[in-house]
Amino acid sequence: MGFGTYVTARVMWAAVVSLIIVTITFLLLAAAPNPEIQRAATQAALQGGDPAEAAERARELRGLDEPIHVRYMDYLQSIYTLDWGWADSRSQPVTTALAEGLYYTAQYSVPWTILTILLGPLVGVYSAANMYSWKDHLATGFAFFGYAIPNFFFGIILLLMFGVWLEVIPVVYDTSVPVFSLANAIQLSIPVFVLVTGSIGAVMRVSRNESAEFQHADFMKTAKAKGVSPLRAYAYHVMRPTLVPLSTTLVGQLLALFLGSSLLVEVVFGIPGLGRVTYNALIAQDTNLVLGSTLAFTFVAVVGNLIEDLVFTVLDPRISYDDR
Amino acid sequence: MGTQRSDRFDEVEWDEISQSRWFEPSKNTLGVVFCTLPLALLGIYDWQVLGERTATFAFLGTEWNLEGIDYLFGFTLVLFAFYVVAPLYQNPRMTRYYWRQFKRNRPAVVSLGWLGVVFVGGLFGPLVVSAPEQSVLTGHQPPVFLSIDAANVATCVGDVVGGRCQGTLQHPLGTTQGGKDVFASIVYGMTISMQIAFITTTIVAAIGVSVGTVSAYAGGWVDETLMRFVDVVLSFPTLLMFLLILYIYGAGLGMFILVFSLFAWGGTARYVRSKSLSVSEAEYVKAGRLTGATTAQVVRRHVVPNTASSIITQLTLLVPGFLLAEAQLAFLGLGDSAVPSWGQLISAGRSDLSFAPWIVLAPGVVLFLTILAFNFLGDALLDALNPEAEAENE
Repeated sequence: MGFGTYVTARVMWAAVVSLIIVTITFLLLAAAPNPEIQRAATQAALQGGDPAEAAERARELRGLDEPIHVRYMDYLQSIYTLDWGWADSRSQPVTTALAEGLYYTAQYSVPWTILTILLGPLVGVYSAANMYSWKDHLATGFAFFGYAIPNFFFGIILLLMFGVWLEVIPVVYDTSVPVFSLANAIQLSIPVFVLVTGSIGAVMRVSRNESAEFQHADFMKTAKAKGVSPLRAYAYHVMRPTLVPLSTTLVGQLLALFLGSSLLVEVVFGIPGLGRVTYNALIAQDTNLVLGSTLAFTFVAVVGNLIEDLVFTVLDPRISYDDR
Repeated sequence: MGTQRSDRFDEVEWDEISQSRWFEPSKNTLGVVFCTLPLALLGIYDWQVLGERTATFAFLGTEWNLEGIDYLFGFTLVLFAFYVVAPLYQNPRMTRYYWRQFKRNRPAVVSLGWLGVVFVGGLFGPLVVSAPEQSVLTGHQPPVFLSIDAANVATCVGDVVGGRCQGTLQHPLGTTQGGKDVFASIVYGMTISMQIAFITTTIVAAIGVSVGTVSAYAGGWVDETLMRFVDVVLSFPTLLMFLLILYIYGAGLGMFILVFSLFAWGGTARYVRSKSLSVSEAEYVKAGRLTGATTAQVVRRHVVPNTASSIITQLTLLVPGFLLAEAQLAFLGLGDSAVPSWGQLISAGRSDLSFAPWIVLAPGVVLFLTILAFNFLGDALLDALNPEAEAENE
């Protein structure tokens, strides 16, 4: 199998995975009583009307009286054409609501991802180079601390310290400041710090353990014997092979954190991003928006896994396409 | 085991040495069956005979009630006792070897101690400590040795010294806004955490090992299908799907455990498959096959024992994820509100953080320590149970 075929097969597979997940959401929704119809029935009963008739009308209005395969095709069509419906709780289309959320989510996600990708491997390799020194122990301790402390708990504590006691950052995120301003950087610093501590630990551990293997490899001995400067030797001969196994875990780690913690961190710090949109939709019983945000996160996960696999094959020419 | 040893390898009677029939239960399996039977009978009695609102042990005059999840927890405890603890006791030589390896990692020994405390506290704590009860008048009591401005408490249980309410031993970690004892809530939270840890790992191990070995041994299209299915499971955003299920159907702790463990076995299955493939190429498996061992025997006697250590390690590293997810959901107010978990306590104390920080700090620190301990333990098990890794390092 050549590279082109592999990429095609992998992209097709991503499409299949997204289709499976969309199908599961459809089945979940189809098997459950729709809260909107119940609401319509309750309202009719309260106003002295016939609840059964109102429920029937609501069902007809939403096309729920059609056979299930027609509804499924309709559903697929509207999902893949990004026609995600109307978000009642926010009085705007679902896609607009999600785009607004994404605007705020991106503001802290981009610096967080960049910092993790830059600092994680650097500290990991540095700590492998000074293995079992106090610096290594410090880095290891920090990695375990960040890995183990629940992000939302850490966020609350830092918010208490810097927001309530020291009053350095606002307690609730201020949306009125411009994106590229000092005030915005200050108020986003704590959420970014919390997320970086959470994600950098795993990256540091993997890169430390992986690079420890290459440090005493023959090519490093040769490089040292040739008089290559330590910085160059580490950058070229240790960092590069370390990045290959790292890239397999990195995207998965970041995605898992993005999906789980962005919700928590946004709720704790009051950032009106994607996570908070999801949370508010859950509270407000806005089915379209709940579904939309779930699917948005899902597509991010599927595309992320796809990119990870593709990057892996580009980075490491030793991989044969047939094995995967 | 065989009664007499053959002099030559090719004279080994497989039928004598190993189980001749497919199902000839070992001592441990019998133990599991004997312990599970009364549990199952009690469960059926609870389900069929007793009414919805009658406590299980009402005939003993106690209010102690068991629910579905408690029975499942009991079953996993039985499995743990007979398939993890008992083999360690039966093979003292290996146990001593593992312990020597494990002991070298001091943080891991401390972690094991802490997890032991959580385990025992979760198992027996609810029998000793009475359940935390609402009592609005004694809300916001400070922990022992600490004090709080008397204006923040309705009634101070301890002494009021200079306008500050002193903590008492009656509430060693203080109380919440509703007057629930924080220490008792943490002990009850231990039970929840242990239930999550034991049930999820059992489900994950069962599915992961079955899918992995079947995939490796069936090969062909079965292997391909199962592995593609594993891909789907691995790229599944479990937390979001759980939110969707929670939104549509509502979900309690049982649903949480089910959904999260049904989407966590992907890594285990992949690992078991690759390990089975490499084990099946090993010389001793070939020798066994030549002397007439069936696939089932090879899987039971060679593949599963050889993968067991790594599976345990992997499961140890999975548990903190589950605990964290539960705490997150409880914190968001989306968890099972009937379950007194640590996350619930953290979210309860959030509004009083500025003057009563212990409500958040105590369960938060306990959660942090537990997750940390599982990580340290997994790291140490990785070194202790995997002699090959050591050989590589030396």
